[in-house]
Amino acid sequence: MKNLFSKTMIIGWFAVLLSFLPLSAFAHHGWAWSTGGNIELTGTITESKLGNPHGILKVEVNSEIWTVEVGQPWRNERAGLTDEDYAPGKEIRFIGEPSSDESERLLKAERVYINEREYALYPDRD
Amino acid sequence: MEPILEWLAQTDIATYFRNSRWGFAAVNTAHIFGISILFGSVLTLDLRLLGLWRKVPLAPFSYALPRIAAVGLALAIITGLLLFSVRPSEYAALGVFRIKLALICFGFLAALLAHARGSLHNDNRRQQIVTGAVSIFCWAGALICGRLIAFMA
Repeated sequence: MKNLFSKTMIIGWFAVLLSFLPLSAFAHHGWAWSTGGNIELTGTITESKLGNPHGILKVEVNSEIWTVEVGQPWRNERAGLTDEDYAPGKEIRFIGEPSSDESERLLKAERVYINEREYALYPDRD
Repeated sequence: MEPILEWLAQTDIATYFRNSRWGFAAVNTAHIFGISILFGSVLTLDLRLLGLWRKVPLAPFSYALPRIAAVGLALAIITGLLLFSVRPSEYAALGVFRIKLALICFGFLAALLAHARGSLHNDNRRQQIVTGAVSIFCWAGALICGRLIAFMA
């Protein structure tokens, strides 16, 4: 028992614990989960959940439902977008990075186009 | 449960934090403050209970650290409720979020039990080791599950 809880062992336990952390190839946060390349999606918004920590839309694209991550309120506002632009039923086009797991049908939008007008959520990204 | 979550999402305070850039950032930051105060103090006490720094008496650890931890926990709970209110249904449905809540409850109850049994003041080595190990497991687990919410939701 004493050996099991020696200083070295305790450090070891923590190393084991921390090794579980880099499982983070999950969705959403940052850009690590996306492909790094842009794709284009055009469709109709079916569902809209806006607000912190990020806005999420469901978009019907060629009878497939995609999940599109748009900006937080301040980012949408900076791009010139209102909640009304993201309302269900609206036609919308996105350029952004898809999840590297294609089956997720998940896109993080960098630019939004409504009636051919561009709204840049991430003006500094290509 | 669902009606309560929907009601919570519609409250003025939830609406405010869902739309405010710096309000949300401030609560987020305060939540991390709470967690760091809680986990830092709990970890220090737990390592002493597990057998580190045996030359230093246990009494100062068991006097100061639970008090600091309680302040951290209170701050984390208040700010956590505010963060939860922004997207209650989504968070409540999330596996890691439920595990996190279970670990917090378990860790809190284990701490109450340890105080009730006087584990922080007696010389029962076995009890101290169990107390420290259970505590580290619960609070480190809760922290990890909490961080993972951002990568799942």
